[in-house]
Amino acid sequence: MSTPRTRHWRREKALPYLLLAPALVLLAGMIYPFGLGLYYSFTSYWLQYPNRFRFVWFDNYVDLMSEPLFARALEFTLGFTLAAVVVQVGLGLAVALFLHGRIPGRSVIRALMLLPLMIPPVITALMWKIMMASTNAGILNYMLSFVGVDPVNWFGSTQGAVASVLIIDTWGNLPFVALILLGGLQALPTEPYEAARVDGAGPAAILRYVTLPLLSPFLVLVVLFRTMDSLRIFDVIYATTQGGPNDATTNLHIMAYQYSFQWYQMGKGMAQAIVLLLLVVIVSYLLMRLWNRASESTS
Amino acid sequence: MGAALSASAQDDEALAYYRQAKIDWRQAAGQSLTIGLNKHPFTESLLPLIPEFRRLTGINVEYLILPEAEYFTKLVADLSQQRGEFSVIMTGPVRNWQYVPPNWILPLDDFLNNPKLTDQSWFKLDDFYPALIAANRWNGKTGGGVGEGPLYSIPVLEESYILAYRKDIFDQYNIKVPTTNEEMVEAARLVKKNAGIPGIVARGTPSVASMGTGFMSGLKSATDGQWSEFDDKLNANFHDPRSVKFTEMWIGMVRESGPPNWANMQWYDAMEAFTAGQAGMIVDADFFAANYEDPKKSKVAGKVGYALIPAGPGGKPYAGLWTWALGISKATKNKEAAWLFVEWATAQRTLLNATLGYRNYNPARASIMDDPRVQEIMGAWGGGSYLKTVAKNLETARVAWIPQPERTRLGDIWARSLHEIYFQRMPAADALKKASNEVDKVLKEAGIK
Repeated sequence: MSTPRTRHWRREKALPYLLLAPALVLLAGMIYPFGLGLYYSFTSYWLQYPNRFRFVWFDNYVDLMSEPLFARALEFTLGFTLAAVVVQVGLGLAVALFLHGRIPGRSVIRALMLLPLMIPPVITALMWKIMMASTNAGILNYMLSFVGVDPVNWFGSTQGAVASVLIIDTWGNLPFVALILLGGLQALPTEPYEAARVDGAGPAAILRYVTLPLLSPFLVLVVLFRTMDSLRIFDVIYATTQGGPNDATTNLHIMAYQYSFQWYQMGKGMAQAIVLLLLVVIVSYLLMRLWNRASESTS
Repeated sequence: MGAALSASAQDDEALAYYRQAKIDWRQAAGQSLTIGLNKHPFTESLLPLIPEFRRLTGINVEYLILPEAEYFTKLVADLSQQRGEFSVIMTGPVRNWQYVPPNWILPLDDFLNNPKLTDQSWFKLDDFYPALIAANRWNGKTGGGVGEGPLYSIPVLEESYILAYRKDIFDQYNIKVPTTNEEMVEAARLVKKNAGIPGIVARGTPSVASMGTGFMSGLKSATDGQWSEFDDKLNANFHDPRSVKFTEMWIGMVRESGPPNWANMQWYDAMEAFTAGQAGMIVDADFFAANYEDPKKSKVAGKVGYALIPAGPGGKPYAGLWTWALGISKATKNKEAAWLFVEWATAQRTLLNATLGYRNYNPARASIMDDPRVQEIMGAWGGGSYLKTVAKNLETARVAWIPQPERTRLGDIWARSLHEIYFQRMPAADALKKASNEVDKVLKEAGIK
C-alpha cells in the first residue's frame, strides 16, 4: 500500500544511491578494463602471435625482476620523484611565502601563474624542447650565454636529459604547488603569529616554529599530489626523449609503454603497469596517513 | 601546387583515363571500404581524389589517417583481432613480415591475374621498378625469401639511401667526396674544423627507426652486402668483427664530428639540420633532396652534391630499400572493392599526381620518373647528380633486413647498444655481443627459434 508518506520515505532512502549511481557506473566501467589488464599481466600475450596466448602465472613479474632495464627504470622513477618533489615543494613554498607578503602587483602575478597549469603537458614539453636546442641556436642556451654558461647539451646527454625533464615538469607544476600553499597560508589563524611576535621571535623562528607546523596539512597534501604524479610521469618524457638517451629518462611507465605499444608484448607491459600501480598505491597510502596525522595535530 | 588535379575541373578527363581499363569499375558499387592511412604526402595526395573514386566505382570510402607510430599500433590491433575495420592498409616490406605469418593480409596475385578485376595492359605492373615489386614479395620463410612468393602490397614510392654533401664547402676547402668510410670520417673532421659546423648529421634516437637507413646501408656496403644481422642458423650477428669495426668507426665519427644532440635526433631533425645548413654530410633517404633543394625552405638549395654511400672492397654500395605500399586485410568483407581501390590508387595517373602535386618522392613507376615534368624538377637537383646517383643506387639497393616478425624489437635493441657505445658505458664489442644475446633471447621467447 503506497501512501504519500511511504513514497516520500522510499525516495529519501533511494536518494543516496541515485546520486551515487553515475559514479558507480563510471567505476564499473573502469573496473572491467582494469581487471582484464590484471588478468593479462599473468599471461603470455604477444599481439602478433594470438595462438600462443597462455596463462603463465607470475612469470612476467619474475622476468621483470631479472631484466636489467627494470632496475634502472625503478631507480629513475624513485630518484626523479624525490628530486621533483623536493624542488617543486621547496620552490613552491618560497613562491607562496613571497606572494603572501604585501608586494605590489601580486594579484597580477597570481593570475599569470595560472598559465602553465592551463597548457597541456605535451605542448609544454614541445615548447621547451624547441627552446632547449643544444647549441646557442636554442633560446635557453642563448640566454645562459649572457651569464657566461657554456651551451648545455639538454637532450643529447644523459645528465642534460634528466635535468630537462625535471625543469619542464617543474615549470608546469610549480604554480599548482604555490597556489595551494598560498591558499593554506592565507587560511592560517593569526593568534599564534601575534603570540610569537609578543615573545620577540624573528622571521626565521616564526617560519620554523609557527608557519611550517600550521601549514603541514597543506605541505603533505602537495607532497602527496606531486609524488603520485611524478611516479607516473609519462607525457613530458615521451614528447622529448622517449626514455633516452641511453635509457637515462626511462621510468616504469615509459617501460610499460614500450613493451605494450612498441613491441606488442601486452602481458609483460601490463605486469610492469601493475608494479607501477602498486608502487604508487603504497607510497600514497603512507603519505595519506601522514596527512591525516598532520591534519589532526593542527585542528 | 603545380600540376595538382582538382576534384572538379579535370574530373571527366580523369574518369576517362580510368575507364580505359577494360574492367567494370562499378562491379562493387554500393559496398563500403575503410582505409587505414599513415600521415604522409602520398595519403595527402589521395584525399582530394576520393570523391572521384566514388564517382568512378560507386564504392563508399571512409579513411582514418594517423601519425606513423599511432597508425601501426592501431593497425596491428585491428589485424590481430581480424575485425576487418581497415580494408586497405598502408604497409611495406618489413611490416608485412609481421602480418604474413599469422595470415592477416591477402596475397594480391589472384587479383592481378583476374581479368575481371585487373586490365594488366592498362595497369602495367612492369612499369614499377622491379626491385620495388620484389621487395614486396615474400615466401613467408623466416630468415629469407624476400623477392619470392606472393606479392603482398603494391609500392607507391621508393626510398633508398645515398650520401648528400655540401658541395660548396667541399669545393672551398678541397675536401674529397668520400668513396670509403675512412675518407668519410676524414671529410667530416675537415668540415667541422674548417667550416665550424658538424661534419655529419645522422639519426640517433635509440629506436629501430635510426638503424635501417644510413647506418645499416653503410654497414652492408662496407661488407659488400655480405654481413647480415643473423647468421645462417638465425643467431644474432651484431658482434661479428666487421660489424664491430664499422660501428666503432661510425660512433667515433658522430662523437668527434657530429652534432651534440645526435642521441635525440629523429629523421626530421637530421634532415632539417642539413637543410638549415648545419651539417656537411648526411647519409639518409634519397628523396630528402626535395627539401634540400626547395629554395623557399632550404638554406642549401643548389649547394648540395649527391653520391653513393661509401662502398667496400667490391666497389658497389648495398643500400637498403623501403617502399610504402598498399595492401589488403584478410578480414575485409569487400575484397573486390578493396582491390579496385588499390588498383586505382596505384594507377599511373594517380601516382603521377601524387608526385607532381604533393611531392610524393621517389616515384615507384619508371614512367613517372621519366616524365619530363618530373625530370625537370628532379633533374635539377645537385646539377643532375641526384638522378644519376639514385639510378645507379637502385641497381644494387635491396631490402636490408632479414624477414622475421620481431624486426622492430631487434632494431630497438641494436639502437640501444649504439647508445651504450656512444656514451662510453661499454666498448663496442661488448655492447654488440650483449645486443646479440638479447635478440637471441627474445626470438626464443617468441617461439621463432
